Amino acid sequence: MIKLEQVTKKYGATVAVNGLSLEVNEGEVCVLIGPSGCGKTTTLRMINRLIEPTSGRILVNGKDTSQVKPEQLRRSIGYAIQSVGLFPHLTVATNIATVPELLHWDKTRIARRVEELLTLVGLSPAEYAGKYPSQLSGGEAQRIGVARALAADPPILLMDEPFGAVDPLTRERLQAQFVAIQQELKKTVILVTHDLDEAIRLADRIAIMAAGKLVQYDTPETTLSRPASKFVHDFVGSDRALKRLSRISVESFIKSAPTVTINASIKQAEAAIGSRRSAWVVDDKGQLLGWIDRTDLSQVSSISEGMVTLESKDIALWQNATLREALSRMLGQGFKSIPVVDEDTKLIGEVTLGDVEAATAEAEE
Amino acid sequence: MPDRQTRRWIILALASAAFIALIASTGVWEASLRFLFPQESQVLHPRASLLTLVVEHLGLVGISSSLTILIGVPLGIWVTCPGGRNFLPIVTDLTSFGQTFPPVAVLALAVPMLGFGLVPTVVALFLYGLLPVVRNTIAGLRAVPPHLLDAAYGMGMGRFQALFRVEIPLAARVILAGIRISVIINIGTAMIGAAIGAGGLGSPIIAGLVQDNLAYIIEGAVPAAILAVLADQLLANVEGSFAYMPEEATR
Repeated sequence: MIKLEQVTKKYGATVAVNGLSLEVNEGEVCVLIGPSGCGKTTTLRMINRLIEPTSGRILVNGKDTSQVKPEQLRRSIGYAIQSVGLFPHLTVATNIATVPELLHWDKTRIARRVEELLTLVGLSPAEYAGKYPSQLSGGEAQRIGVARALAADPPILLMDEPFGAVDPLTRERLQAQFVAIQQELKKTVILVTHDLDEAIRLADRIAIMAAGKLVQYDTPETTLSRPASKFVHDFVGSDRALKRLSRISVESFIKSAPTVTINASIKQAEAAIGSRRSAWVVDDKGQLLGWIDRTDLSQVSSISEGMVTLESKDIALWQNATLREALSRMLGQGFKSIPVVDEDTKLIGEVTLGDVEAATAEAEE
Repeated sequence: MPDRQTRRWIILALASAAFIALIASTGVWEASLRFLFPQESQVLHPRASLLTLVVEHLGLVGISSSLTILIGVPLGIWVTCPGGRNFLPIVTDLTSFGQTFPPVAVLALAVPMLGFGLVPTVVALFLYGLLPVVRNTIAGLRAVPPHLLDAAYGMGMGRFQALFRVEIPLAARVILAGIRISVIINIGTAMIGAAIGAGGLGSPIIAGLVQDNLAYIIEGAVPAAILAVLADQLLANVEGSFAYMPEEATR
């Protein structure tokens, strides 16, 4: 899909990018990462010819980009930047419509597309279409920026720290949304970041750059478990085992957990717990209410009397959470197992500390 | 209830109508000036009616300011383009020189070449008004944040699309502010045209100075002052309609 062949960019005597070769497959997210000044942004901007390479070739869909008119090339490649760059004199809708307008789409098609995109990024079209960029929060502006980049449905998306200018909480939500959108749209994405956690979370492959050179190009798992050099080893840091956990979904570690319904008898509850120390309590719809300790059972007359109530949104994990989140909940709450719920907060099982340890050990091998 | 912007246009229209009515009613002028200056035998300049003088004056201002805008704005755009950037220092120097050079001196130099009347006056006014227009065009375009241009080019806009869709709309208010200053200066400076027979509101003033007739001077100066205020309001309203942020429009 995108292929860089021995691409070099020199500014006078300084070499910004030095003989870089890189291939990104269709539908993959490639994250370019490295210390400041490593040439990652220069590399990104050479792909849509905002910067012309000094030597080497860049192929998009097998076609040499230097043979395509820059404007035409750029209209087929989505572009989202850290500063967002929404035009302050245009409404959200007109901003999103920028590339479709350059491509002379008809008005009704543009209006339909704008509505579609606002819905895709989770903003109500009725509320946001007529707003001006100055009326948006940082997170909203970033989402509009992504919507604008996706407007003409380009197969390729270039993103330069698209979630850089927002607070950590918003960034995490935007990243989750990006993962969801990417699962649906399957674009070929090249994303520049300096945030390793972001890279691990979003990337299919991570390209680590240093001083204009590619030093490792691998899946996040491989990058973390087998750093190619001391530089990469230092760059990913000593907590790479922990980082690796954020690549593993809890889904494959969910075990059935001892469960009792709230209006079950004490006898039924004792049977359900068996030799375990406690059981999760659910209502008759299967939604998580709390937990009950075995030793308490003999002293109470009903389950509800002995139950410790849980706010499931604080403690329970969603089924698509990562093991890293599971571990952080366990440490935070002092629990050895954490309940996992589906979208309707129905209990589907639990994840135990033993599973997390096993996964960590596996990663270290 | 019309919004603030609409109200400002309505007020301006009413004020302009009142001004035209005032200029056209010679009787009112004659009576009030006679009351103020009973010693003068004649209180209204006999060369032409006040309405004619105002129309002549507006003609001078209109022609010279149009030239200033039509040449000044493109010139400012050109010297901020990659193609014209080398000419930026010489253009700013020349326009500054145009303003430091007194219009009266331009007239003195222009008359031997261009004769008397309209043409040399327009040349002097054009040169004198060029600086604010060119300077503000350059300043407005330079103030467009580079990341917006990065976004514009990155999405596939060409040079002219970026200019007309992004740069000029964003610089519009600053450019218009320059035009406003230039036109206001022009209304005052156009008085000198009368010295070389271009007419306008300068005629009664010069006649008044020569004949020591204060009524003539008032006849020329008061309408010119009102004209300047009206033109300022007109251009302020145009500038206001280019406010692109909603909170600015309601302020």
